Amino acid sequence: MAKKRNLRKEINEKLHDEVLRGALGRFAEAYPIARAKALENVEDVEALRDQLKETKRYAVDHIEEIADRFEIEAVKRGAKVFRAATGKELISYLINLCKERAVRRIVKSKSMASEEIHLNDALEKAGIRVKETDLGEWIISIAGHKPSHMVMPAIHLNRYQVADYFSKELDKSIDPDIAFMVQTSRTTLRDEFLKADMGISGANFGIAESGTIGLFTNEGNARLATTIPPIHVVIIGYEKLVPSIKDTVPILRLLPRGATGQLMTSYMSMIAGPTPCLVQKNGRWEETLKELHIILLDNGRLAAAHDEKLKEIYQCVRCASCLNVCPVYALVGGHVYGGQTYAGGIGAILTAFLGGMEEFEQFNELCIGCRKCVTVCPGKIDIPGLIEELRRRSIKEKGLPFIMSRIFDVMSNRRFFHGLLKAASIAQKPFTSQGLVRHLPLFLAGMTKDRSLPGIAAAPLRDRVDRIVKPIEKPDKKVGFFSGCTMDFVFPETGENVIKVIQDLNMSVSYPDRQGCCGKPVAATGDVEYTKKIAKNNIEAFEAVDVEVIICACPTGVEQIREYPHLFKDDPEWRDRAQSMADKMKEFCTFVAGEYEKRGRLKKAVKSHNPLKITYHDSCHLRRVLNVHDEPRKLIESIEGCEFVEMKDADKCCGMSGSFGVKYSNLSIPILKEKMKNIKDAQAEIVVCACSGCMVQLQGGIDQQAPGLKLKHVADLLAEHLESKNGG
Amino acid sequence: METASRDWRTAIPSENADRRVLDEFVQRTKNASTEVHRVHGIKESIKIILDIANGMKAKTVVAVPGTLLDESGLIEDLKHAGLQVFTSKEDIASHVDTADIGISEVEFGIAESGSVCQHATEAVSRLVSSLPPVHVAFMKSERIVTGIQDAIDILSKGFDSGYVSWLTGPSRTADIERVLTIGVHGPSRFILILVDEAGGKGVQ
Repeated sequence: MAKKRNLRKEINEKLHDEVLRGALGRFAEAYPIARAKALENVEDVEALRDQLKETKRYAVDHIEEIADRFEIEAVKRGAKVFRAATGKELISYLINLCKERAVRRIVKSKSMASEEIHLNDALEKAGIRVKETDLGEWIISIAGHKPSHMVMPAIHLNRYQVADYFSKELDKSIDPDIAFMVQTSRTTLRDEFLKADMGISGANFGIAESGTIGLFTNEGNARLATTIPPIHVVIIGYEKLVPSIKDTVPILRLLPRGATGQLMTSYMSMIAGPTPCLVQKNGRWEETLKELHIILLDNGRLAAAHDEKLKEIYQCVRCASCLNVCPVYALVGGHVYGGQTYAGGIGAILTAFLGGMEEFEQFNELCIGCRKCVTVCPGKIDIPGLIEELRRRSIKEKGLPFIMSRIFDVMSNRRFFHGLLKAASIAQKPFTSQGLVRHLPLFLAGMTKDRSLPGIAAAPLRDRVDRIVKPIEKPDKKVGFFSGCTMDFVFPETGENVIKVIQDLNMSVSYPDRQGCCGKPVAATGDVEYTKKIAKNNIEAFEAVDVEVIICACPTGVEQIREYPHLFKDDPEWRDRAQSMADKMKEFCTFVAGEYEKRGRLKKAVKSHNPLKITYHDSCHLRRVLNVHDEPRKLIESIEGCEFVEMKDADKCCGMSGSFGVKYSNLSIPILKEKMKNIKDAQAEIVVCACSGCMVQLQGGIDQQAPGLKLKHVADLLAEHLESKNGG
Repeated sequence: METASRDWRTAIPSENADRRVLDEFVQRTKNASTEVHRVHGIKESIKIILDIANGMKAKTVVAVPGTLLDESGLIEDLKHAGLQVFTSKEDIASHVDTADIGISEVEFGIAESGSVCQHATEAVSRLVSSLPPVHVAFMKSERIVTGIQDAIDILSKGFDSGYVSWLTGPSRTADIERVLTIGVHGPSRFILILVDEAGGKGVQ
């Protein structure tokens, strides 16, 4: 059973770890630039990523056949192949081999698979000296740490800490000078290479048609570990196999560029069968053929290959690009956001399929779901999607924790939930001013430092629509408006503005009162049954009104309603009804920009003398799920008297992401602070976004950190412009 | 030792003997911290190697000559200049760990990444390019392919068993504080000498 972790405590410790914060912060700044530069001479990056994805998908669908071919070809060339179902099997094979060949000293080049099965511990217990030779791996092995990053395992340590570990290990004082320490590791480990009886390596790919393994390294340690000792053992997971040498092209072109921003690592080697090596016998050097053992490690991989959803992990080439752009990883690193071996979101998934579901459950919630990782993954893995899938399975198996199920009972009971929210608007009275909750009871204090939480509006949108909705005689379109909870109860004025903008297009608006929560907060926890209950209510609500289009000004709502048909995939009647609702669903900015375009209203406004500067924040889901980028910007630019200014990292998460922002407020706040800095640096007077979740977060940040700055939804900006035009 | 391609005459399209491909290759190898020299005939390289040797007060050289070096008399020239040069397998095995300079030949270059491909099935070719602090590699300047895809096309025809390495600059690490440091387990200097063969289709 996995050890029970106290994640909150771990997070707080790391947030105060200046070494880690500094290293990860600088890296998060430098990485995107290095990656982009390395990809400059790739003509079509998307096509290359697709090629990698398709290659790996083919491989996973034919994995047994490919593994058989790999084995036959490797054996034909003189290698011995052993298939290890578990880590235990691998270890016992290896220890036996060491006994038979009198192996006392082993040098290892990097192998994450060996970390995963805790190979070094087992070998040391068997009395064998084993040394990691990758500098980062060597550092963490003498420090007794686990890797905090797949490519840079010791990124959490600074030179002084490394010097301390070196001093202890080598029993002499080592200066904290990086070049000197690198030189020290060269001398120390050179001796290990020369005396080793066996070299163990991992593999970055395996080629079935020739039984070849491929290795990338920068230090040159893998070349030495596979050249000097007379026995070479390769540990390779099934997910690394591809059919032919031509399939390695997208890996060769994308892995180094994504991992370190290099066009190629210093060394890339391909080894097919045993090669000659030089050994000393009776004082003379003789050439003999090396002994090559290849161990194919299963450890949960083959089961994953036959899982329709989870087989996607075969698209992972372990480049860690996903970690390098993750806002949560950048704050706490891989020891907190990670399992025993693998870090980050991909680490959560790998941990789960390697049999550590309990371990997965302890840290997977740290995935904020911003989907930035999906945009850089060479294999285009839907990391947040797989995490949600695993959450769903975990809940299906175990049910929701009691307290959560009580909350969902409330949320799926529309009348009760709405009543409760209204009651909240009264109960919280002492704590609100200017519409924001400023002081909360002490146990909620962590939530409000550097950010105010929004107050519940005195009158929700549902109680205001009658005042705004006006009859339109011959409407161009009949539009239904799905507001979502946040717009209904926190930002009802924005909801009113959505209605105004639509009506200005000579379209009628219906707001069915029965509509409720879109269901996303429940779906995100993995609870399918409650999600269905919520969905059915909304489907019925919109079936009751005669509309051609349904508008939602919150990207999560759009996304969730488009998910409804998948919820009912085994229920044809409800599936069709859900499909009909999903087909009508349109995102506000996209819809309005399209209609403005038709009417010739989307033109860039004439530059004015003293323009109002406006910047725009991309919501993660609007940008990366609905792929909306240009439309809100064009809408802003179409408004007279405004000047659009792009902020730095406009599409970086604001830190809210539904309940994440409340549950992990200590992580959410630093992410918000960075966003606030970028907003302030843009020197705009207004920050605009098109997502009510982001509005909650940004309004809270503005209130505490940038009073004077105004926040508006695109709908607010458009409606106010209409009013000033019509009024003035 | 050249087995990465069975037939070099057809392996590389003649249009690659184009100035642009070579320039791109040279630029990218330099970007990867490779020191690049270009010579007309091997003999010209003796001065380059002696300069390096003098600069580091080198005494011992381990070399794995291939077709380029065998005919050139370079090894003899180095010996005459006072360097101790080992070329047999046994001698290399005995001296490679303490040698100052390793010399080898590589087969072809890849412009996309600034890499060179070494057919390295013989252990000595890996040893001389890994253990000494300086590695000098010779390559025919006409043997440059444009992309990684082209390099794999060549290997798919010529490489079926053994050991192949792509070398892209010297050994490096950024494992401590992400500070780039050159020369970990492999050489800290990688020197590539591009040879325009007399009478060959070398780039003009």
